[in-house]
This record gives sequence, C-alpha cells and structure tokens, in this order.
Amino acid sequence: MKTLRVPRSPKVVTGLAIVGFFIVLTVVGPWIAPDNPSSTAYPALLGPSAHHWLGTTSLGQDIFSQLLVGARATMVVAFVAGLVATLLSMTVGIAAGYLGGLPDEGLSMLSNVFLAIPGLPLLIVIDAYLPVNSRSNAFVIGLIISLTGWAWGARVLRAQTMSLRNRDFVEAARIIGEKRYRIMFSEIAPNLLPVLASSFLFTILYSVGAYVTLAYIGLTSTSVWNWGTMLYWAQSNNAPLSNEWYWFVPPGICIALVGTGLALVNFGIDEFINPRLRASGLSSKQRKERGLARRTRLGLTPVSVTRAPTPRSLQPNPGVAE
Amino acid sequence: MRLVTRRLGLYAVTAWVAVTVNFLLPRLMPGNPIQTLIGKLTGQVTPGEIRAIRLSFGLGFHQGLIAQYFTYLTQLLHGNLGVSITLGATVSSILRQSVPWTVGLIGVSTIVSFAVGTFAGTWLGWTRGSRLDSLIPTATFFQAVPYFFLATVMLLIFGSDLHWFPVLGAYSQNVTPGWNWTFVSNVIRYGELPVISIVLSSVAGWMLGMRNMMITMVGEDFVLMAVAKGLPRRRVIMHAARNAILPSIANLSLAIGLVVSGALLVELVFNYPGVGDLLLQAVLNEDYPLIQGIFLVITLTVLAANLIADVAYFALDPRTRTEVAT
Amino acid sequence: MSYEGVRVDDASAQVSDVTANVTANVAVNATAGVEPASEFSKRLAVLDVTDFSVDYGVGDATVRAVNEVSFSLERSRVLGVAGESGSGKSTLVYALTRLLRAPGVISGGEAVLHVSREDGRVEALNMTTASEAALRSVRWSHVSIVLQSALNALNPVLRVRHEFDEVLKTHRREMSRAQRRARSAQLMALVGLNEDRLARYPHELSGGQRQRVMIALALALEPELVIMDEPTTALDVVTQREIINELNSLRSQFGFAMIFITHDLSLLVELADEIVVMYAGRIVERATAADLYATPMHPYTLGLLNSFPPLSGERRELTGIPGSPPDLSDLPSGCTFHPRCPYAMARCERETPELVVDERRGRSVACWLHVDHDSPPTPVELSGRRLRATVPVGAREEAQ
Ligand SMILES: Nc1ncnc2c1ncn2[C@@H]1O[C@H](COP(=O)(O)OP(=O)(O)O)[C@@H](O)[C@H]1O
Ligand code: SF4
Ligand SMILES: [Mg+2]
Repeated sequence: MKTLRVPRSPKVVTGLAIVGFFIVLTVVGPWIAPDNPSSTAYPALLGPSAHHWLGTTSLGQDIFSQLLVGARATMVVAFVAGLVATLLSMTVGIAAGYLGGLPDEGLSMLSNVFLAIPGLPLLIVIDAYLPVNSRSNAFVIGLIISLTGWAWGARVLRAQTMSLRNRDFVEAARIIGEKRYRIMFSEIAPNLLPVLASSFLFTILYSVGAYVTLAYIGLTSTSVWNWGTMLYWAQSNNAPLSNEWYWFVPPGICIALVGTGLALVNFGIDEFINPRLRASGLSSKQRKERGLARRTRLGLTPVSVTRAPTPRSLQPNPGVAE
Repeated sequence: MRLVTRRLGLYAVTAWVAVTVNFLLPRLMPGNPIQTLIGKLTGQVTPGEIRAIRLSFGLGFHQGLIAQYFTYLTQLLHGNLGVSITLGATVSSILRQSVPWTVGLIGVSTIVSFAVGTFAGTWLGWTRGSRLDSLIPTATFFQAVPYFFLATVMLLIFGSDLHWFPVLGAYSQNVTPGWNWTFVSNVIRYGELPVISIVLSSVAGWMLGMRNMMITMVGEDFVLMAVAKGLPRRRVIMHAARNAILPSIANLSLAIGLVVSGALLVELVFNYPGVGDLLLQAVLNEDYPLIQGIFLVITLTVLAANLIADVAYFALDPRTRTEVAT
Repeated sequence: MSYEGVRVDDASAQVSDVTANVTANVAVNATAGVEPASEFSKRLAVLDVTDFSVDYGVGDATVRAVNEVSFSLERSRVLGVAGESGSGKSTLVYALTRLLRAPGVISGGEAVLHVSREDGRVEALNMTTASEAALRSVRWSHVSIVLQSALNALNPVLRVRHEFDEVLKTHRREMSRAQRRARSAQLMALVGLNEDRLARYPHELSGGQRQRVMIALALALEPELVIMDEPTTALDVVTQREIINELNSLRSQFGFAMIFITHDLSLLVELADEIVVMYAGRIVERATAADLYATPMHPYTLGLLNSFPPLSGERRELTGIPGSPPDLSDLPSGCTFHPRCPYAMARCERETPELVVDERRGRSVACWLHVDHDSPPTPVELSGRRLRATVPVGAREEAQ
C-alpha cells in the first residue's frame, strides 16, 4: 500500500499552513468572535478601528465578527460537499474502472453527462426550487453542491483503477475469492490514495466557490453567516461603489486564501503522483558550490567546474582497507 | 469515426438529461413550487396569462406525468420555452436578446484565456526551475479568487477609480445599436474590462495545466531527440507543446462549464446584458420558466462548445483517428 | 551511387556562421592523457574520450554512473559497448553528446569530437566546453543517435515525413521541397521501407519499421558518427537479425563510425571492430571483437558471453552471471565485481584493479588475474583457477 508522502516543498508547507489556519478558524471562529454578527448595536458604516477591526455594516453589525463566524458555515459546507463528492466519485470511478463492460459504459456515461452540464446553472435551478428552510441547512446545500462536483474525480479514478486492475495484488485477491466490493474498496482504493486526496482537495476548492457564489446571489439563507452572504449584503448595499472596501474585500481575500492553500497542497500531491514534476534533485546550494547553472537546459548537460569530490559511495571503506 | 459517434451520443444523452431534469425539478421538489407560484399570481394577472404559465410547465390539461412530459417535449421541439412571469414576453424572445451577448463575452474570453494560458504554460514548463517559477503561487491565488469578486475589484480600481475603462452595460447609452463601426467599437471598449476579468480568473488554470503537461512531455524521448537533431530551440519546444496541448483540449469540456459558471456572475457585476444578469433577476423574482429556459440554453451552448473542442482534438491527435498497426 | 549524387553542398551561410562559433570553442587536440597515438591515427580519430566521469546529482547523494572512462574511436570503425543494464552505457553516450538529462552532471574528463568540415578541414570540438550553438552545429549533421524505443523517439502526432523534412530543413536549407521529398524517399529505400510509409504516423508502423525509420533518419545527413543505444533490444530475433545485417551493409556503403550499445555481447561480436565491456560505470575490458570472443580475459566478459546465445555460429552453454549488478550508491570495495566473481581472490576485495593497457596486443583489462603483462593473453577459463565462488574469501587466501 502506497503511503502518501508528499514532497515537502515550500509550496506545500505554505499551503498546509494556510489550510491549517482556516481549519482552526472553522472550529474556534464563532467562539472568538467579539460580537454577535447579527447584532445591530453599533453605528452604521464605521471604518476599521481598534473597536471594530474591519468596521461595521450599514446595519451597524461588526464585520470582523461576521468574518470569524462565517468561516464555519463556509468551511463546513465545503467539507461536506467535498466528502460526499469524493465518496461518490470513488464509488462510481472505481466500480466503472474495475467492473468494465456494461457497468463501465453506464457509469462513464453518467459521469460524462454530469461533466458536460455546467455546474452553476444546474445548482441555481435546483436551489431556486428548494424550500427556504432547506437553504439554511449546510448539509442540504453541501449535498447539492457535491452532486455537481463529483464527476471529474470519477473520471480520473476510473482511469487510475483501470491501470491497477490487472496488477498482481488484485489478481491475488481475486484468486483467493475476495468479494468484488472488498477488492474495490480495500485493495484498490488504498492504492489510489494520492489521487483520492487530490480529488478531495479539488472538490473542496470547487465547493467553496460554489457555495459562496450561491450565497452571493442570494440563493442560500441570508440568516446564516458565511463569506458569501457577507458579499451579498455588501453588494446589495453598494459597498464596492461606495468605497467601503473593508466590508467586501476581507471575505473575498479569505475565500481566495483558502483556495490558494488547497491548490498549493495539491501541487505537492501532483508531484507525488507524477515524479517528473518533482524538482531535478540538485539543491540550489549544491549547484552554487559546483558552479552549475540554476536550471539544467535540455541538451546542455552541466559540466561541473570544480572537480567533483569523490562521492561517498566510492570512498575507500575504512573497515576493509588495511 | 466511432469516437465521434460516441461523443455525439453522449451529448444527445446529456441534452436529454438536462431537459428531463428541467421537467422533473418543479414537479418533484417538496412544497410544489409551481402551485405556490400560481397561487401567488392569482388575482395579479389575467386568467389567460395563468393558463399560459401553466402551459409552459406542461400543466395545461390535468394530464398524467408521462403525458405532461410529452407535451413538454413537443413544446420544446417547437422552440417554445414558455412565458416569463415577470417580463411578460416569451422566454425564447427574451433569450434571443441576451444570449448573443453572453456567447460573445464568454467566447472571446475563453479563446483569449486559452491562448494566453497555453503560451505562458508552455514557456513556464520549458523553463521550469528558473525564476519564473515564482509566478506559480500568484497564478494559484488568481485561480482561487471567485470570478465575481475579482470582477468587482477590477471594476472599482480600473473603472470607477482610474476611469481607464467604461463600465456598466455592454455599450454606451449614446450609441444606437447597429452594424456600424461606432457601435461595434463601443461594444469592444465596454467589453474590455469584463473580458480581462474573466481572463484573469481563468487563465491560471490553463497555464498551470499546460505547464505540468509540458514538463511531462519534455521528459519524453522524442523531445530529447528533437534536441539531438540539432533543431533550433523554438522547434524543440513545439515538439513538446504540440503534444502537451492535447490534454488541455480534452479538458475543455470541464473548463467551459466552469468558465461559463464564473462568467455569468461577471456579467452581473458589470451589468452586462447577457443571460447571467437575466438569470439573477429570474431567480430573485422566482420566474421559474425563465430560470429553466436559461438553464437549457446554457447547457445546450456548452454542449455545442464541447463538440467544437472534440473536433479540434480529433484533428490534432492522429491516434484517435486510426487504430490499426500495419 | 545515387546517394552520393544527391549530396548537397554544405557551404551555406548558416553553416559557416556556426563554424566560426565552433572554432572559438575548440581546443585543438587538447587531449592530454589520451594514450599515445601516432599523428596518423589522431587525424583519423572521430572521437577521443579521456577520463570521462558522470554523476547523478551533486553532494552526498551523488552516485557515479560513469567512472573515468577513456577510449578513442577511429573513422568508419564500430565500437561496441557491452554490459548488463545499469552498467552506465546509456549514461556514457548521452553525456558525451551533452544530451544527458538532470540530475546528470559531467564531473570530469573530456570528450573531443573531430568534425570534418565541408572544406576538408578537421576541427576538434571539445564537447564538454562547447557552447549550445556549437553543439547544435554538430548535432545530427555530424553525430546522430538512435534509441532503444523508436516508438518513444518519434513524435506521436507527426507523420514520418515530417521528421525527415524537419531535419533536412534545419541542416540543408538550400534543399527545395521536391529535393527533400526525393531524399526522404531515398533514405526510406535504403532501409528497405516503401516510400508510402512516409505518410504514416508512428503508431501505424510496426516496431521494426519504426526502428528502420529511425536509422534512415540518423543517416539523413551522412554524419561521421552514429550512436545506437540498444537499437534492437525491443525487437524480435528475426527483425533484430535483419537490422544488424542492414546496418553492416549501410556501414560498408557510407563508412560512418558507430558506437553500438547493447547488453547482448554476442550481437557485438558480429558487428563491432572493437568492444569495451562496462561494469558499474567502469571499462573492465577492451579488445577487438575477435580477441574478446576468442579469449575473454575478464570474468565478467566471460559471464556476458555465456549469457546470450550467439546470433549465429557455435553455441556456448548459457550459464549467465550469478547475482545482480551492484547498487551504485553502495559499491563493493576493491574490484566492484568481486561479490559475483567466481575467480575472486582476497586481493580483489581490497584493491581496485586498474585498466591495464597492453600496447603490444592492443587490449586492456582490469582484473587481478591478469597482472602479468608478459604472459600471453590467457582466456579466463584457462587461467588455471578453479571456480571457488562458494569458498569464503578468508579460506581461499589460506588455501593459496
Ligand atoms: N536519474 C538518475 N538518478 C540516479 N541514478 C540514475 C539515474 N539514471 C540512471 N541512474 C543510474 O545510473 C546507472 C547507469 O544507468 P544507464 O546508463 O541507464 O545504464 P545502461 O544504459 O547501461 O543500462 C544505473 O545504475 C542507474 O541506476
Ligand atoms: S579482479 Fe578479482 S574479482 Fe575482479 S574480476 Fe578479476 S578476479 Fe574477479
Ligand atoms: Mg541503457
């Protein structure tokens, strides 16, 4: 079984730090928020100050509190959607790739159909028909988003499964008479861990975007604070055009940061899956010492100017030499 | 050829699924939204209009579900998408007004974004390891910013503050629409900032994808052979890029859906008279026939775009055309 | 021969431009350390390689895949390079041509290519110091290369015709479209392929056809040196046979020099003039093909000869070599072959045998069995030692 040892590049470390920060915020955000985000106790449209780090809305609500509280709904919906979508794509993708034949035809068709239908318009149509009380339910929204976001992962997993299905360990499991679903989920799935992880991050990324967008156009309950509803209220009160940047910029930046963090972690996973994407193995310090260029040009193999020290592997072994 | 038929079949099925979802949604959703809507409208509009609305849902004649379905399909085949509740006009006439704007905006943006992203990705992939690599986190950030948020910021900075671009709407109030240069140039001027916003949001995806594929391709023997043949660098890069672009084109189907989704909201921000703006109005007013009409038209347009991408793929990859080894 | 008739005048503006560039980079015969050679043979040499070493990576994790390799290749001769997979054959030739990818680094020595220019001058181009432009000017027109997998070496989305066209367009700018077409067809005919294959894509050709296309392509500019890295390994025996025969006849026709790499030593015996045997990055034996076959001196050479059935001629008993090639990052001490060597002595574990050149007989070997130069070359089988591989090294010492 492949363990997921993601290369520890600066990109990945930064990504993990960002994602970690927002996960912490998801948990503690509502607790550390200085105010009730809906309370209209303050004067309207205060600029940022020591009291209100990010000022107040036109209703006199504390924007910083909204940002902290809003983290939870945003992240929970995205997480639920990411999880459900990944489970869906895992089931469909692995089954299609492993079973082949008619089931494959059907399942592939299903995922291709979902890939071809543009996600957001479908989401809007479904959401428009949703009873208002369901719109405030993070799980319902998460489920619907996952419905439009699973197909890509399924396609990738199907291809990967097909490359695994004739491998020895799968054959062996087949020969000893393992049940099909056991082969699929306890033999094949663990070997797809990197791909699964990548598709999980990808769907979370997609779900953050989808949820925030739905909220922004007013299709989720406006009584639940998330970064999208913040943007919705800012937009409906013309905050952008009135130069109230402290109202609409922070949630936008938070969304972008979460997305950037996830994408950076994904870089690491990509490098894990595709070794060619990894750095060439010469650290910059070593290159400098040996007078080598920063990058190796194809067709111009570097020649080290300083005579190479004998590699350790070739040095005489003191235990053997007389 | 078999592959082409397969793809055509897929799109036919997709179109059918979209139509059926459209038909079923209002009927299966809890709370029967259509009945609620009609109840709300009773008294506000004439009984004739209510009848038209019921018709557009296929609810005209107390039929069973199957019969309703066929009525619905027949109407669709005649281009009849029903009547908008709020705008009073037929959905198809409304869409005829706005779809060209959306197709123009998204089409131009996608082409620009694909071209720029592919070129940049080719170069980034070729020079990987160089200082240019530091562009990647920035590109990732732009990729993660929601389209509508970036558009808002662009509108504020370059439209409202700096007045570099005219904003709001697709053309100035002072020009009369028509096929003359004054109007066309005005449309281009007004389109610049929305196009730039969409390109900025979507270009990173193409760029990073192309970069990864370039790196993979540069690792292939035939690229090394191009160097061994003493070809100029430009030609070596072409050998790799010509192959690296194939997955990008294969991914167009996924990407077009995402770009369309994002671009609809950019229209909103810029008050662009396309279907995005229309969709939001329809949603706010619970104008179900219009919402559904827009969904259908968008889906069909995306499918058409996919078909174009497929044709390009078949043209560029000989391995899809022949499978025989002699 | 019509082939000669099409030969184009190379004195185009582009080529002479680059020539100026090359001259700047040339250290004329800066081959200090090459074994002494007469002026005559120097003029004839096409490639001189001296103490050439190649590492993968730099710093502590470095492995040395090619270790102080020297050889000289004369015009129109075939040098065979043999050795198990992983012995550094490909690394050597890729590095010589500066085509080796990262993390490969040339860590010592030099390789000098003697380029015949159109005006008859011979220029020595030091490959390890040459600029990119200088390298480009000799690539393919003076040195071409054929890889093991032609499927990977041909661009999958381009027609075969395009590959020829591109090479001719780049290096023979004065050729017209019609001339290029004619030349491509002619080259295809040389390797026994019908002209209509030019319109095919690589995936539409069989493995043998693809490899022939690569060979035709490699000869397109009549280079002085053609490098073949296991060109037949991926093919079936019959096709392999045909291609070797074709190569032999093409070579007598055009007189290019060739470095032919294979892990199948018996194949080289029919093709090569001289053979070097590599083990763990070092040359362990060098001799003419006939000598090597008749009297293999290094136990590893003997093992290789016994690993493959010869393409023709008498059959030897196939015994192979016990064990597997060493891990470059953890090489055995002394003679790196000693853990697998049936003739190993106590000394072999401690001291590294140098490649000792026997001028008189024109062969070299790096093995403690052959330290005594004055005795005639003893085939290793006859060197009077019994196979004692199973006896512990210490016990062996005592027994002597
Ligand atoms: N990229 C690399 N990094 C580290 N070691 C490598 C790399 N490529 C090849 N090697 C090592 O270099 C040695 C020589 O490889 P190669 O030249 O391909 O051998 P051959 O062509 O004789 O089969 C092998 O032992 C291999 O493990
Ligand atoms: S030196 Fe010793 S171990 Fe090495 S090949 Fe010769 S006999 Fe064998
Ligand atoms: Mg090799």
